[in-house]
Amino acid sequence: MSALVIETSGLRKEYTSRRGGRRVAVQGLDLAVPAGGVHGFLGPNGSGKTTTIRMLLGLSRATAGSMRLFGEEVPQRLPSVIGRVGAVVESPKFSPHLTGRQNLLLLARSISAPDARVDAAVETVGLTGRDADRYRSYSLGMKQRLAIAATLLKDPDLLILDEPTNGLDPAGIREVRDTVRDLGAAGVTVLLSSHILAEVQQVCTSATIIGNGRLLASGTVDDLLAGAAAHRVVTPDPVLAARVLRAAGLAVTGPAEDPGDHPGDHRAGHPADHPGSEPDHALTVETDDPARVTRVLAEAGVWLSELTPVRQDLESYFLALTADDTLGGR
Amino acid sequence: MGALLKVELTRLRWRRAVVLLLAAAVLVPAVVVGATAWGTRPLSEADLASAESDFGGRFLRQEVRSCGRTPEFYGLEDVAAAELPEACRLAVVSSYAGRSPLDLSDSLESGAMLVVAAVLVLLLVLLGTTFVGHDWNTGSMSNQLLFEARRGRVWAAKALAVGAVGLLVALLVSLACWLALLAIASSRDLSAADGMLLDGVEQCLRTGLVAAGAAFGGYALTMLLRSTVATLGVVFALTVLGGTLIGVLGGQETQRWQPQLNVMAAVTNEVTYYDDSGLEPACLTGMARPRLDCDATQRIGAVQGGSYVGVVLLALGAVSVVSFRRRDVP
Ligand SMILES: Nc1ncnc2c1ncn2[C@@H]1O[C@H](COP(=O)(O)OP(=O)(O)OP(=O)(O)O)[C@@H](O)[C@H]1O
Ligand SMILES: [Mg+2]
Repeated sequence: MSALVIETSGLRKEYTSRRGGRRVAVQGLDLAVPAGGVHGFLGPNGSGKTTTIRMLLGLSRATAGSMRLFGEEVPQRLPSVIGRVGAVVESPKFSPHLTGRQNLLLLARSISAPDARVDAAVETVGLTGRDADRYRSYSLGMKQRLAIAATLLKDPDLLILDEPTNGLDPAGIREVRDTVRDLGAAGVTVLLSSHILAEVQQVCTSATIIGNGRLLASGTVDDLLAGAAAHRVVTPDPVLAARVLRAAGLAVTGPAEDPGDHPGDHRAGHPADHPGSEPDHALTVETDDPARVTRVLAEAGVWLSELTPVRQDLESYFLALTADDTLGGR
Repeated sequence: MGALLKVELTRLRWRRAVVLLLAAAVLVPAVVVGATAWGTRPLSEADLASAESDFGGRFLRQEVRSCGRTPEFYGLEDVAAAELPEACRLAVVSSYAGRSPLDLSDSLESGAMLVVAAVLVLLLVLLGTTFVGHDWNTGSMSNQLLFEARRGRVWAAKALAVGAVGLLVALLVSLACWLALLAIASSRDLSAADGMLLDGVEQCLRTGLVAAGAAFGGYALTMLLRSTVATLGVVFALTVLGGTLIGVLGGQETQRWQPQLNVMAAVTNEVTYYDDSGLEPACLTGMARPRLDCDATQRIGAVQGGSYVGVVLLALGAVSVVSFRRRDVP
């Protein structure tokens, strides 16, 4: 048994369109999700998150590559592990004419779970009192809650949530966040795909970022952000300072850039220092070593008037990393 | 598997369209039997008198006399000579009045029981289709597969549920219809031929099997095409256009492959039809030599009809289950 709960290697998925064209949704993805904790699974629209999740759950067939859940080869051994996996994939899918409760009962009985577990799950997601209404009369948020309730029927060791807070109100978002955090703390491994990165940053211990079906970055949230540390530098002569710092091998972005130096060139650049977002004389230097900045500038006779660490958040990091991978950028 | 089967039976019970179709499968045959009973009700003296006056006396009396001379032409060869005049009057007048007494053997081969079988087959195809078409339309199939990943089992449980319900309903309804017809006949003092009761029960069994096959066929085709509308389109095309196509293609003895004829043979034990494509050309020119066999009446027995239906269903089932196991589920 490996200590990884989810493991993929060289995972690839091609869709063939009716006209015979091929679209590669996932290309050579190596995913590693350790046991325990909440793992963010991030990427722009169309980057292949849902496709990857659907392959892991046996809903769609990988074109190439291998996958493991709890160390078991899937989809071959999926039946032996699916009972430990709860999942919400994209939008919730239930029978509209049945009540929420009936929908859950059918699922629970198919795995021989006692009906009492349905009541517990309904209670946990706060649908008590509305569970006897038809599913089609539910609001989007109630549908999401029902989908989360369905994942709890199995008492899962792994929870795969594909945008679970889509359509929830602020209170609902917080409830899901708390539920996810509690589950993570209780030893359940959670794979959380979401576009609300502030949320992800609050609950996730580690994260994987993909773009265009490829792995862009993976690791603990702290490591990911540390690698992207930067400092904001203010000097009376930003042009000279930028030249000096670049000569010392540091990556610099700022208003006084040389022609041809635009943010897109820096894959790990910081959107916060896009031109126009800072006062004219401020530079951003990508380093976690402020002493070096001070020394280099002092040796060239440039005096600092301000040196502050730039507080990096997951959102800016994500945006910088995936700048080239947005849908329009193809 | 037991749990899955129970779940599918519950799902059937909770589907309103299924309940409506089952209600129709009881009501429509009841109406057919009722209409038969009404259409064959014995002629009262008043009916006879009014028919006699409607059709004029001389012509009618002539025919009654000719019936007295050749009762075998009127199916009255077994009637005692003393009762013959009255029997002849009844037979001739009722044939003028367009109302003949209930004939159990006719109702099996071409009358009420055949109509009941056709109604059951049609309604059960719809039942099999709508039952699972709904799962595809709502996308809830993928949700079910997250709880039971063994797709072969899911397919089989649904097939079994649909087939069992189809068999039970068709068997009970057709038996009830047959017993009702027998009761009507005996209440009118119409004697049933030897073995008629058993013949009818056997036909009910065959009706049950064929109708269950129809439910299964509708189900399997919908699992393959994943849409109620597409399935109904294909079924319609096969029955209407398929028959026409076979007719247009011509060739010798192609009538033998008409689906409707074979289904009918499987239900009624034997079907005869007219097909002169296999005859010597001399037969058609009217210049037949004496000993040439110019009988264009063909027959299809229950064995051929049953094998035809069975092979089609087996092939359809095999393609359906293989496709369901391999293809991505949306
Ligand atoms: N059934 C399908 N047929 C063809 N192409 C598909 C299919 N499903 C997904 N794709 C394509 O695969 C790519 C990845 O889609 P996917 O749904 O995995 O993205 P995602 O990361 O989940 O995006 P989002 O954040 O919008 O949910 C997209 O380009 C999409 O168009
Ligand atoms: Mg998605």
